[in-house]
Amino acid sequence: MITLPLNATEDRVVGSIDLEYAIRTGERRFHPGVLAKAHRGILYIDEVNLLDDYIADLILDAAASGWNRVEREGISYSHPARFILVGTMNPEEGDLRPQLLDRFGLCVEVTSEQEIRDRVELMVRREAFDADPDGFLSRYERKNRELSLRIIAAKEFMPKVRMADGLRTFISELCAEDNVAGHRADIVMEQAARAVAALAGRSIVRIEDIQEVAPLVLIHRRREAAPPPPPPPQHENHDQSKSTEQQPEKSSQDHAPDTPDQEPRSQPEAAPADSPDQDERGSEEKREQQGFRQVLERVFEIGQTFSVRKISAPKDRVLRKGSGRRSRTRTGQKQGRYVRSSLRGNKDDIALDATLRAAAPYQIRRKNPACLPTRQAAGKAGKNDLAVILTSEDIRHKVRERRVGNFLLFVVDASGSMGAQGRMVATKGAIMSLLTDAYQKRDRVAMITFRKDDAELKLPPTSSVELGARLLRELPVGGRTPLPAALLKTHEVVRTIFLRDPTARPIVIIITDGKANVSLGHGRPMEESLLLAARLASDKRIFSLVVDTEKAGLVHFDLARRLAAAMDARYFRIEDLKADTLVHIIKEATS
Amino acid sequence: MTYQSIYPFVAIVGQEKMKLALILNIINPTLSGVLIRGEKGTGKSTAVRALAHILPEIEVVKDCPFQLQEGDPEGICAECPRTECSRAVISGKEVEKTSRGIRVVELPVGATEDRVVGTLDLEYALRKGEKRVEPGLLAAAHRGILYVDEVNLLDDHVVDVLLDSAAMGVNTIEREGVSFSHPARFTLVGTMNPEEGELRPQLLDRFGLCVQVEGLRDKDARVAVMERRALFDECPEDFCKRWEEESRSLVSKIKRAIALYPEVTIERSLLFDIASYCLEVGVDGHRADIIMLKTAKTLAAYEGRKEVKSEDIEVAAELVLPHRVRRQPFMDVVEDLSAGQAGMEDWKRGHMEASSRR
Repeated sequence: MITLPLNATEDRVVGSIDLEYAIRTGERRFHPGVLAKAHRGILYIDEVNLLDDYIADLILDAAASGWNRVEREGISYSHPARFILVGTMNPEEGDLRPQLLDRFGLCVEVTSEQEIRDRVELMVRREAFDADPDGFLSRYERKNRELSLRIIAAKEFMPKVRMADGLRTFISELCAEDNVAGHRADIVMEQAARAVAALAGRSIVRIEDIQEVAPLVLIHRRREAAPPPPPPPQHENHDQSKSTEQQPEKSSQDHAPDTPDQEPRSQPEAAPADSPDQDERGSEEKREQQGFRQVLERVFEIGQTFSVRKISAPKDRVLRKGSGRRSRTRTGQKQGRYVRSSLRGNKDDIALDATLRAAAPYQIRRKNPACLPTRQAAGKAGKNDLAVILTSEDIRHKVRERRVGNFLLFVVDASGSMGAQGRMVATKGAIMSLLTDAYQKRDRVAMITFRKDDAELKLPPTSSVELGARLLRELPVGGRTPLPAALLKTHEVVRTIFLRDPTARPIVIIITDGKANVSLGHGRPMEESLLLAARLASDKRIFSLVVDTEKAGLVHFDLARRLAAAMDARYFRIEDLKADTLVHIIKEATS
Repeated sequence: MTYQSIYPFVAIVGQEKMKLALILNIINPTLSGVLIRGEKGTGKSTAVRALAHILPEIEVVKDCPFQLQEGDPEGICAECPRTECSRAVISGKEVEKTSRGIRVVELPVGATEDRVVGTLDLEYALRKGEKRVEPGLLAAAHRGILYVDEVNLLDDHVVDVLLDSAAMGVNTIEREGVSFSHPARFTLVGTMNPEEGELRPQLLDRFGLCVQVEGLRDKDARVAVMERRALFDECPEDFCKRWEEESRSLVSKIKRAIALYPEVTIERSLLFDIASYCLEVGVDGHRADIIMLKTAKTLAAYEGRKEVKSEDIEVAAELVLPHRVRRQPFMDVVEDLSAGQAGMEDWKRGHMEASSRR
């Protein structure tokens, strides 16, 4: 098993030139990287959702083709790289790209034990292990060995396992129902079902085998939340539930164990059943709040939150400072992930490893006094007692990349019209979701609210998203809609941001129904708004979004859409903000 | 900073909870650290730095860059950059050992990734044309304490690295042409001011214990702080000398606790208490249960008992649970668990009496 650390650099992942050998002999030889080491084994990535995109691409590529092709630093080499990709992640920290997600054949969600007895047992075992690791291991050795023998046997048996054609149809129906992309799901499910049969020592796949693996295959591929797989179209066995249940039974009969070792297998059934009431709270409060009918000023609860689709400023070649996780950028600082090297770059950020690799093949020639042009360099190096002679063309620079948090400016309409029809509840839910997203991406946020006669900067630019959340909770609604004033305020705030950092890429999120009815001067409020919006749009560094809170209904004003057009902004309805992502799907699937 | 110029741990006024959490971690490094949250000027950093006075000694192979013990089963000596002693180990010869205090390695907020995990040894590569790993801060912190001041301001990718190795106890380097892995089991001690922003939940969970410190409310105590600080600034040596006896008695108490810890037992019914505590509060995962059990046992050992009492569990709950209650990024971190309050009060009273000898 090979572990890939998060801070790995490209040269070690795919492999590179063998430095020492090159210096000694002047020949280029391939020095295998992590992918080569993982061949025929397991490649484990802890916290896989935090892995750098660039490195993830390299792994994807190898995982898809089973080959690792290296064309770099003057070597051309390819070797087989078939490995089992195992990743662990905490969904709180952000999602995995669907492309990478799909490469994982199976996906399981682990939750903690809810049963007190199990929790206690867990503590007891952990203590026993810590107190005497060797003794603990030897106690379980027999079981370990039995398990591995069973796996070996199943592996040999696997080619003999047959599947009826009807079941293949069932698999493709399941996949089609969940609207999965591509055919990997079908193939993986077929293989997995056969593996289950092989493990149980059966030569024919049963429908229960497919039902057992289907959730593992589909949970991360499902593109729309769909109902759970339907009951089997054929007969129902008395032991129809899941064959996981039979297995422990079987093995425990075979060798009366002192402790039930199979717990972890049966755990997923027990856990989800206990937890579904979590998400309901939000909507209940919502209903409660809607009961109130105060006229002037109200504070609404925060509606249901959801996970937000990816919003990021487009990538460019500008080097910028800062940290965060939203938009990827090249960075000119000496910080950031060193992902690869290049010939051009920051003058004092030399990638020494790459430089050495570039120079290595020439060492023998350069040290040879017969080579006139390099003799000077050799003499100089000799004085410094260096084994490697470097010339300026060898120098490579580090290319560092990091995600930077953006600056998110929320412009929130808190006028009376937003209070109608529970709009504010949904809106607050949406803002809360955006704030959660901002937190995960380490953004800086600011919030402008507008109501009555004026707009005010409620939350000055801060990186404490919590403050924003607290403010949101207490935000009252009522009064008229001074949209022009809000846009003017936006302009002011953005200007001060640019004064501080000209390369900043603020994202302005305007949340309104667009029914402006208070103007700044003597013009019509809506015209003023559009004019100001156009002025904001003239600065191409600003990336803006308009979120329309107007409910789809008979009467449409579509004012927010006009505003978006004038601002050159992307237009969303609240529903559009939702992302069909892993977390989202899992939440729905388990509740 | 010399030993003499560090403010003695035992001379810190009040903040019993913070001191207790730190001591427990010294006794049992598997508690995996303390997070100290509090406003500025409450003695967070002072307390961590002061640990130097009371840390017990450990035996290490002399000059070993990875702080290994003799006969450590990790088996990285074959690839160790320090060839002199690795040759000796491989050929089965005796290696030189020394005994030194546990180290507090400080991770500055601006640290770069390569210095944290380790990187290619520049000088060696240029001189010899060979690759060699240059161990980073994680190697230096093995079997010691890794201290991060203002941990919430730490760069994001450095946090990722920390998460990685704090979880597995192993640091794997696959970068800049070197491929190496070495053990990195350290006690993570972090201080932070919550006003500056919260920690990522993932990192928060890696801290075994969490304490909230605030300025002292008691007038006498505040005066004592001023007096002691003034005395210390006047003449650090004298001040340290005056507290030396108490330091020494604390060290020997810690040593006794370390020796006693393996013998501490816990009744099964108390384990059920722990589990129901955790379930009630609704923590994620099982780290809380395990840490709580260990904390309770360590508390018993610290008090010189061989059995865990239910009071220990109450105190442990207060140290282990507050920062784990928070389940979503925006819920405020719970600052006090009223359930455990009584237990802590009792314990504090006992402790105060013991330390009011002076």
